Amino acid sequence: MATTTAAITLTSSDLLTDALALSASATLYDDGTTATGLTQCMTGRVKVHVTGGSFDLIPALASAEDQTQYVYIANKDTTAANYVIISMYNEVIGRLYAGDWMFIPWNAYDPGGDDSSKNDIEVQALVGGPQAIEYAVFIETSATNLDASGD
Amino acid sequence: MATTTAAITITSTDIMDNAVSISNTATLTTAGTDTGLTETTGLARKKFATGSNTVLLDSGAGIAADVTADKSAKVYIRNINSRGDGTKYVTILLTAVEIGRLYGGDWMFFPWSGGSGKDVEFTASDSTETTLEFMVFHE
Repeated sequence: MATTTAAITLTSSDLLTDALALSASATLYDDGTTATGLTQCMTGRVKVHVTGGSFDLIPALASAEDQTQYVYIANKDTTAANYVIISMYNEVIGRLYAGDWMFIPWNAYDPGGDDSSKNDIEVQALVGGPQAIEYAVFIETSATNLDASGD
Repeated sequence: MATTTAAITITSTDIMDNAVSISNTATLTTAGTDTGLTETTGLARKKFATGSNTVLLDSGAGIAADVTADKSAKVYIRNINSRGDGTKYVTILLTAVEIGRLYGGDWMFFPWSGGSGKDVEFTASDSTETTLEFMVFHE
């Protein structure tokens, strides 16, 4: 097993009357365990162009039922007006503007089998030039977490 | 305007042969600008004892009604429960789509498009008490 931790700090000295200083840290474990850390991960960086369509950033898999997975996505663009839309199963989660990041647990199970597009994490750019998107997926141990070859 | 930052650090010394160390800090701004967000729900803590689907953030009511697709909003949610035996979790949903499971101690932070019907919901894996902390930053 491995030990992977994800920590967040939210701070502001002037959003509220008193300063905001919130911290949380989580160790990423397999489903149904208390000490078995996730052992698989994938990272990447892609340039997302404005094409009128969305792309599968991270495909859901038939082998991922009841697995624990966590996803980190960051928009590394630097133009404030630029953003990408992050969706899952055609449901828009939100817009990642330049400099934004997100971290979520992910239901990576594709009940229709690989390539049925259910629960894929999708990305679409609507404005600006190609935007650099960085991502990381942390995955538990129990299956081969790769898209089955169709050829 | 206000300046609010969200920083993440993901680290592992042994998930790969080389250490993983991801760090990033975002300044929370209004949509498409460098102007900081000035509104928040504040940090809330709520206890639930139900295994039924429950609305955590009602997009059509309260402060969350200000959140729409063309505005900037960020949501923080943490399951405050202990991990227990590792089998109890809270499933977070956006409308009817299951985003993922927050086990005890887990947290998530994500942009929220909001808008009519775009509730953030949860379903606990059983009806024992679950405590969630959550906060929305928005324009």
